[in-house]
Amino acid sequence: MIVLSSVSKRYPNGARPALIDVSAEIGAGEFVFLVGPSGSGKSTLLRLLLREERATSGQVIVAGRDVARIADRRVPQLRRIVGCVFQDFRLLPNRTVAANVAFALDVVGRPRHVVRSVVPEVLELVGLGEKADRYPDELSGGEQQRVAIARAFVGRPRVLLADEPTGNLDPTTSIEIMSLLDAVHRAGTTVIMATHNASLVDAMRRRVLELGDGALIRDEAGGRYDQTAPQPLQPSTSPPPSASPPGVVPAQPAGTAPAGEHSPWAAPARSGPVG
Amino acid sequence: MGGAGAQRPGRLMRPGPLASLLWTGLRRNLAMTGAVIVTVTICLAMLGAGLLLRAQVHTIDGFLLDQIEVVVDLSDGITPAERSALEAEMRRDPLIAGVRYETKKQVYERFRRDFRGSPDVVAGVGPEDLPAALRLTLADPRASRDIVVTYTGLDGVEAVRDQRALLDPLYRFLDAFTVGAFTLAAVQALASFALIYTMIRISAHGRRRETAIMKLVGASNGTIRAPFVLESAVAGLVGGLLAAGVLVAAKVFLVDGQFARQTMFPLFGWAPVWESAVVVLAAGMLAAAVMASIALRRHLRV
Ligand SMILES: Nc1ncnc2c1ncn2[C@@H]1O[C@H](COP(=O)(O)OP(=O)(O)OP(=O)(O)O)[C@@H](O)[C@H]1O
Ligand SMILES: [Mg+2]
Repeated sequence: MIVLSSVSKRYPNGARPALIDVSAEIGAGEFVFLVGPSGSGKSTLLRLLLREERATSGQVIVAGRDVARIADRRVPQLRRIVGCVFQDFRLLPNRTVAANVAFALDVVGRPRHVVRSVVPEVLELVGLGEKADRYPDELSGGEQQRVAIARAFVGRPRVLLADEPTGNLDPTTSIEIMSLLDAVHRAGTTVIMATHNASLVDAMRRRVLELGDGALIRDEAGGRYDQTAPQPLQPSTSPPPSASPPGVVPAQPAGTAPAGEHSPWAAPARSGPVG
Repeated sequence: MGGAGAQRPGRLMRPGPLASLLWTGLRRNLAMTGAVIVTVTICLAMLGAGLLLRAQVHTIDGFLLDQIEVVVDLSDGITPAERSALEAEMRRDPLIAGVRYETKKQVYERFRRDFRGSPDVVAGVGPEDLPAALRLTLADPRASRDIVVTYTGLDGVEAVRDQRALLDPLYRFLDAFTVGAFTLAAVQALASFALIYTMIRISAHGRRRETAIMKLVGASNGTIRAPFVLESAVAGLVGGLLAAGVLVAAKVFLVDGQFARQTMFPLFGWAPVWESAVVVLAAGMLAAAVMASIALRRHLRV
């Protein structure tokens, strides 16, 4: 599904490259954690997959397409295949939950009967069937992230990218979001989740890609967050894809980076009720 | 897999959701949109006024083609032979379409007819005071000056009067106003562009979340741009409608209500008004949409 060959990325004004010679292959239907300290290049990698940025060198292939060589006007097609959720949810404050999800279908020209039938289904799937008519500022952070996941998933992308989706959430809510992403994965979607949440990674025991200063320093199946952490007692058997997330509440506090780096998502409240 | 996800890239938004985007944008941007509408209205009203002035020039031209001739006053001492020689020469002239001889008596009668509204003038002129004349209709009314030059000073010719020359001040007046109207329209067009440019910038700022989400979920560039272009086109359309209203009002109150009583010249009818209204509407919408597209290149990266 995704092939990275010797991918490097240097931002025009960057002192050092954000990614250096990263090569990896992610199959269809895989679930991958992307870990590494702040500034190691996780978000940059995800941006390359969305063609929000282009690699300086190397090749990024998503669903068989060389991402750098997609014509500008075909980039939207890539983005319909690759859904994305963020730490800061990015919901439209003046639209209801249902309207936020419907928006993703409306703007790609899906017919009304499809929108009408698919949106309630997806809201049911993320457990927000009852709250379809609420506005984002009437929801908890976890619920807002569910809406964001519903919006990313409603177009049935083949890949879902999640950039620190639990970064703003408490441990219990993080687990709920994790289990939702797991459900999306079990529905057949390739999921790549960049995270700092060690307990989730440790509990899930999925494939882990670790970046350090832009280089890929670990690619481990059924890995833990920390390479140096003690090995598990039982031999490394990755749990079956149907496994639900752990019941243990992670000890690690969530929430690391500030929300909304350079984007229009700073203002808190909706600008006016429009429905 | 991807059954629901497989779709053609170029598919546009349905009218309903698009209208709702447009509506929220217009409401959020009300003051700015209002400013754009005002400038666009002034610009288009000027454009329409220029078009109507040109229509008026054409109306007068058409009237002159029928009515106004070059009149060659004959001296009283002209012999019949001289007169027929002169007439024969005129009939050979390619610039002259027709020659008609009027006796002193006929000239006097025409004079009484033309000035029947002013009995004082008629009373001061006797039947023998006016010269006999040859009235020339021209193949091209604009060539009247050449005719004047050719026939002035010939034997038996007292004077050559170009009735169109009498209208030169009127033509200059109309031309000046036409140029003025078009110039003002051009200046207002520049002002409109500046305002639309700003409107798009503000609108792009107000819509930046929506735009970001649209990009994220794979909306086509056309879809992302559509609300902005439509917003501007709506302002252009409203401006065009207002300007068309101004043109109709000018026709009813100014042209028909005022000028018709003050001038003996024919005034343009309704056809030029409707034509100008259509031009103004189409130009307003199209130009506003094009200006918005240009501004979008600057303010919206897609
Ligand atoms: N737009 C940009 N322009 C210049 N440099 C950038 C830009 N975005 C990121 N960088 C730099 O690239 C490097 C990697 O950044 P990136 O955001 O990918 O890290 P990250 O692993 O996602 O960090 P975090 O865990 O804090 O989100 C950093 O050194 C950062 O300063
Ligand atoms: Mg990041």
